[in-house]
Amino acid sequence: MKPRFSLDLARPSRRHWLGYLLLAPAVLLIGLIIVYPLIVSVDISFQNVNIARLDQPRRPFTTANYERLFTSADFWNAAWVTLKLVIIVSVFCFLLGLGTALLVNNKFKGRSLARLLVALPWAVPEVIAVVIFAWMFDSSFGLMNWIFIKLGFIDTTVNWFSSPAAAFMVVCMTMIWKGYPFVSIMMLAGLQSIPEDFYNAARVDGANTWQRLVNITIPSLMPVLGVTLVLVMLWVFRDFSIIYVLTGGGPLKATQTLSIMTYEQAFGFFKMGYASAIGVVTLIICVIASRLMIGRAPDNI
Amino acid sequence: MKRSLLHSTFLYVAVILVCALLVFPIYWLFITAISPPDQLRVLPPRFWPEIPRWNVFGDVMSDRPILLWLGNSALAALGSVLLSMTVSVLAGYSLSRFRVRGGQSLGLFILTAKMLPATLLVIPLFGIFRTLDLIGSLWSIVLAHATLIIPFTTWMLKGYFDTIPRELEQAAMVDGCSPLGAMVRVILPVSAPGLAATALYGFVLSWSDYAYARTFLTNAQTNWTANLGITTMKGEYISNWGDISAASILVALPVLLIYLFLERYLVGGLTAGAEK
Repeated sequence: MKPRFSLDLARPSRRHWLGYLLLAPAVLLIGLIIVYPLIVSVDISFQNVNIARLDQPRRPFTTANYERLFTSADFWNAAWVTLKLVIIVSVFCFLLGLGTALLVNNKFKGRSLARLLVALPWAVPEVIAVVIFAWMFDSSFGLMNWIFIKLGFIDTTVNWFSSPAAAFMVVCMTMIWKGYPFVSIMMLAGLQSIPEDFYNAARVDGANTWQRLVNITIPSLMPVLGVTLVLVMLWVFRDFSIIYVLTGGGPLKATQTLSIMTYEQAFGFFKMGYASAIGVVTLIICVIASRLMIGRAPDNI
Repeated sequence: MKRSLLHSTFLYVAVILVCALLVFPIYWLFITAISPPDQLRVLPPRFWPEIPRWNVFGDVMSDRPILLWLGNSALAALGSVLLSMTVSVLAGYSLSRFRVRGGQSLGLFILTAKMLPATLLVIPLFGIFRTLDLIGSLWSIVLAHATLIIPFTTWMLKGYFDTIPRELEQAAMVDGCSPLGAMVRVILPVSAPGLAATALYGFVLSWSDYAYARTFLTNAQTNWTANLGITTMKGEYISNWGDISAASILVALPVLLIYLFLERYLVGGLTAGAEK
């Protein structure tokens, strides 16, 4: 019997009106809530706009926002803070995530429970993670003050959120706790896709544990490693909730990343045009950095 | 191969240590919630309260509009997931099965959209919603969360549909199904686990948002979402950590339960794209 409908999905070139029809709602919605707002934000970044209202007449075109941005000490400070944060958090997330994944990839009793637990913080909403760490680092009765005094790291209680270096450290710790389980999940999935045969062959050839790690595990993980690294860096780069609720960018702008600065300028000082310029620059950095890191194969992001 | 006793002891110690360190902050949140206020302000800290106040969850629910906040979060998540899933299922299927002019560029654009900083998009959305008079309404959150969810769900679903053999539709069409009918009656039912995992992932994204709620809903107390409500409790002059912790547990619970019971599906969806 001949099919009533002439649509051969196995054929390499399968253009069909249905393909367009199915795509139409997504294109329409994405156009309305992502593309159009994006165009608006690029547009207002070239205007001197304070409070964005679309029904107001356009202001004249100006590059003043971008000129102001690149000559502003605050911008370079925020860029530096962002860079520091991205590097520190990503490195720790990576080392801890890879180590944890290798650990729970061993065969032992209760390993499914262990796998569940090591990924648990991933499921905790960011605001709740902040509540936990803000309380643990409370200046008077926080647990961490007590632990650090017991361990001899500090002599008296520290007011973590009034010292720039200490506040930056608390932000790092919160982000690492919240972010590194994601790396563990990804690495574990990567480890499980490595065929057991590779290891058996290596054992036959007399490779020790370390050689197996360096010559089989790490190279096989490289694709997942790359994608995960980019995802973690993008997350830190753009994160708003953790820093904003934990420190608000302070003290003395020590934790003010580009995202926090964008938001502050937009909704603290109502400099919407200037804020959009910072946001556009942030987006351009994100796109370029991730393209550079994963080349022309962005399928997995 | 037999492992030495030393090796397996070391393994267990390391696993327990790592799990304990990771789970401890969550345990501490719980202990803080069930400790009477006077036992929170003591050193050395107590790792289990003498008299746990189990009724704290009921108390904080009657003191604060937490049920209202949770309800708002649920409505926002439900709305944005429904909206996102509707368009993503259709688009993901199309990207997986058809070769459409511009389909590839659309896919690339969606990937780039994942990199959009919320702090950039929130500015024009604020302007647009003000013009439409949506500021303070949950609709603003539904639309804003859809911008977070759609880029993820579309690609997750495309990847999922790619794993389903095309022969299924072929067979259905030989039996007289229309192409649309083949998708609705054959492919969607087969994809149910993937659809559920994707929808849950979208739910978690929406439930965890703070930036959009903070911007659009701050002046509309009756529409506060759970995360926004929690931060207002934290921002009060004297932080009542016991109450904040109890409220936080109630807010984190839905997502934690989803994770604990459906870990396999969620993690499967998360890592599906990375194993290629």
